[in-house]
Parts: sequence; C-alpha cells; structure tokens
Amino acid sequence: MIFLATFHWGWLLATLLLGFAMGWIAVVHRGHGVSKVVGRWLAALVAVLLAVALARVVPGRPGYWLDLGLMMLALYLIGCVIGSLLRDRVLPGPSSAG
Amino acid sequence: MRGSTNVGKRGLVRWSSKWWPGTIPLAVLWALAAWTSTAPLETELAARSTAALKDVLLDKSRIAVSGRDVTLAADAFSEDGRHNAIAAIEAVPGVRLVDDETRLVPEAKPFVWSAERDVVRVTLAGSSPLPASKTKLLEAARADLGGFEVVDQTGLARGAPPRFDEAALLLLGQVGKLKDGKITITDTKVSLAGMARDLGGREAIAAALKNLPEGFSVAANEIKAPPYIFQAYKDPVALTLTLTGNVPDSNARAALVATSGRKFFAEKVVDNLKTSLGAPSGFANAVTPALGALSRLSTGTLVVTDREVKLSGDALYDAAAAQLRANLTKDLPQGWQVKADISVKPAAAPVDATVCQQLLTEVLAKGKIRFESGRSNLDPDSAGLLDRLVETALRCPATNINVAGHTDADGDNNANQVLSEKRAQAVVDYLVKAGLPASRFTAIGYGSTQPVADNETDEGKARNRRIEFVVKEQP
Repeated sequence: MIFLATFHWGWLLATLLLGFAMGWIAVVHRGHGVSKVVGRWLAALVAVLLAVALARVVPGRPGYWLDLGLMMLALYLIGCVIGSLLRDRVLPGPSSAG
Repeated sequence: MRGSTNVGKRGLVRWSSKWWPGTIPLAVLWALAAWTSTAPLETELAARSTAALKDVLLDKSRIAVSGRDVTLAADAFSEDGRHNAIAAIEAVPGVRLVDDETRLVPEAKPFVWSAERDVVRVTLAGSSPLPASKTKLLEAARADLGGFEVVDQTGLARGAPPRFDEAALLLLGQVGKLKDGKITITDTKVSLAGMARDLGGREAIAAALKNLPEGFSVAANEIKAPPYIFQAYKDPVALTLTLTGNVPDSNARAALVATSGRKFFAEKVVDNLKTSLGAPSGFANAVTPALGALSRLSTGTLVVTDREVKLSGDALYDAAAAQLRANLTKDLPQGWQVKADISVKPAAAPVDATVCQQLLTEVLAKGKIRFESGRSNLDPDSAGLLDRLVETALRCPATNINVAGHTDADGDNNANQVLSEKRAQAVVDYLVKAGLPASRFTAIGYGSTQPVADNETDEGKARNRRIEFVVKEQP
C-alpha cells in the first residue's frame, strides 16, 4: 500500500483535492442528492468491489485497476468528509443551526 | 462536544448524498491514472522483482508482470530454491499475487559430465549441477588450454555427486595433457580414454588421478602414451654408435652410455638421448642385452619401441646370427617381443698367417677380452670383440693359433697360473662354439710370468691381465 501510495501520489492528491472541493460544495448544494435506497445500493456495490479486491480474485491489469479505483474512491471520500466538515465549521449556515 | 459530533454525523450523512457529482471527474481521473500508470508500474515491479531474485539461484528465470501480478517462470535447483524465489517476489512491495510457474531442474540419472578433446577443440558435454559450476568449469578449461577453442554444451541438472566441481576441475587440468581423448564422470566413476600428448603424459595423468576428491574412483583409465622409442645405430664406416630416443632418467642414460662404451670396443658412442617418463617396465634390462646383440653385428640398427625390440643388421659369421636369433628373446624380460632381422656379412678374403696375426693384434689393441673378476667366465660385454676375433680367425683357415692367458702378479702364483689357463681355455671354447675347428687352437696359461707392464700400479696390472693370440702356419 505504501508503495502504491508513493507511486501514485500525484493522482491520489488530485482525488483528495477533488473530494475536498466536492465536500466543500456539498454543504451548500441545493440540488437533489441520491436517495437512501440508491445510496444503500451504492454502498453495497462499493462493499462488494472492496471484497472482490481484498479477495484478489480479479487477475492482472483489471485487478490493478480495481485496486487503483478503490484507493482513489477512498481518498475522494476522505476529501469529501474533510471538505464538508471544514465548510460546516467555517460558514455557519442553516445546516449547522438545525 | 457530543452534540456537535452528533450534528457532524447527521450532517455528513446528509451531505454525502450530494457528493456523487464528484464521482464523474473521479472516474475520468481514474481512467487517466490507469491509462498512464499501468506500464510504468509494471516496469517498476519487474525491476524490483528481478532485484529481489538476485541472490536466489535459478536458471532461465523469466519475470512477466501484468498489473500488480508477477508471473515467475524459472528452473530451480531445489524445492527450497523454488520457495525462496516465490517468497522473495511476494515480499516485493506493490506485488499483489505471484503466479508460480517455476519447476525443478530435471535430475540427471546417472549424472554424466564429459570433456572431449579432438584436433581443433575441447567440448564439454553432459550436465553441470549449477550455473556457477558451469561457468567455473568453462573458465578453468579456457585458462588451462590457453587459447584452444572450448565449446560448452553442458546443460544443468540436479543429482551431481558431492564435490563434483572439485573432481571436474582436476580432470579438466588433465585434458591439456591429452592429444585427443575423452574424460567422463558418471556419478562418482571417472573414465578416461585417448592418447597422451607427450611421453610421460599418461603417467602424469595417473598421478593426478590419485588426488581425486573422496568418493570418486577411476572406473577405466585407457589413456595411451605415444610410443616410447630408443634407437641405436652401429656405423662400421664412421666407427660410431649413435644412441637416439628416450631413456627414463639421467642415471639410466649414464649407465647405458657406459655399457655401450664397454660393448662397442672400437666405436665412439654418440649420445643423442633425451630423458622422459613413460618407459615400459624393464626398459634397462631389455635394452642392455639388446645393445649386447647389436655389438656383435658388423653393422646394424636397434629400435626399441615400447616393449618391442627390433634388431636388424649383419652378423659377422653364421653361428653368431643363429645365436643372436636364439638368445635375444631369452635375454629380455618377460613380456618383451623381439623381431630379429639378421643376415650374415659376406666372408672376407682369406689371408696368410702374417696378415692374420697382424689383424688379430690390431683387434686386441682396440679392446680387451674381459672376464668376471677373479674368474674365468667371459664378460658378456666382450662378445662383440670376440666375434671380431672369430671373424678374423675364419679368414686364415690354414693356421694354428695359440691363445695365451696372462694375469697380473697379485695373489698366489699357482692360482694365477690356473686362472690364466682357464681364461685362455674359455676364449678357445668361445671360438670353437663359433664354428672354428678345435684342432686349430691351443690354450696356454702363463700366469704372471710374462708381464708387459709394471705390476706395482693398477694401470700396469690391468695391462698385464690379457689374452694374446699367436698365429702359426700349419705344418
């Protein structure tokens, strides 16, 4: 993992920043989010993909791409969490009051 | 604190439903990352895997990387080697799976290794236990053979006997001593065949084989040596005896030259011998009587090749030829062969008593008839001289000859008298055996009564011990 992180640090940093930006925006975004049901399905899909990656059942390049995608997704989500929390702290809005 | 955390959690769940639009650029990023990083990643992992295998002993190792998965195909030299190789690659950071396509190097049964030398090259064939030994042996062969072409056709196999390298190195050292031939190790048995390059090469190889490492043994040593040749040529015109070819050592050489000097009373010995190892056993015991036989020829050649004695030339008279043919085989050590090609020199023209006396005196002036010390047995070294006397006596059939024996003044007079008579008689017996009529000869002993030199010095005594021939016209 450390090797992969150091090897792909540029891409990972980019996803982290992307996540941060998305998280920052999400707090004040007025559009529709995904529904709970879809959200669960998506979570289940990610869980399955994670399980597949950990079980190392996908061979060769697709297996690598899966690992890479999951790592990027993880960093994206971390970025989102950080972005959302920071935005929430910096700009007290209706969400924080509620 | 707790309140704000709960708010944060609830907020996160709500916000997270709006994070999805970012996944579109994320997917684009992902595709770009996969597109650009796959090949460099594979290259990097291949390099790291190769480096990890640096200290693991493998043959024909091939590394293929697909994504993070490494396929290792290689020949290992043991099960441990296989496991170590796989473990080494699994330990490389970034590697996800290792596809094990290694196999064990085939086991050779029997384990055969050979080095064959022909006119143009040395060929190594069979099996080597490890790449390192293969390289080591090839380099050793190149070093030993200095510039001679070496072709390595050995493959790798398991099943080599312990200390194989040591044995193979020792044997490679022997290849240089061969003109052609093959040295083979079959498990722990060593067999050799071929022809040694030099005289003594066979012996040197046999000596080196004693240092084979423990456990190895020589199954067959069929190294042949080039023929061991000794030659002697008696030239009656130049009055020389030329010795050429090989003798075992400088002692044998000195002994042969000395012995030739005694046997060839009239000839000068020309010593063109060289010393070399590899003489057949009994060499000196065979060459000495053969030289004795040559000394009895008027002209002749002696060729000793390994254990074969070839004598050709002209005997001085019929009986001598017959004696030589019959006796030479008996005089040689067991296992030696004789090829005698002896003719008889045509008889010279008859002469009268005066010339006969002169010729006999001349012959006796060149050489002395020798006896065993204090006894009346003729020394075999005098055979050549006696034959020359016989030949001369045959030329004057119309004469009678007194054979007179003389001694020095040492010892008892009566004993000397008897000894001189016996010695004269021994000479007469020789002449009669050579085919001369007994009636023509009278043996007379004078003891020490007729000295020709001072009996006080060794030199004088030696001159006084003598046989004289006195020729008389037949009445």
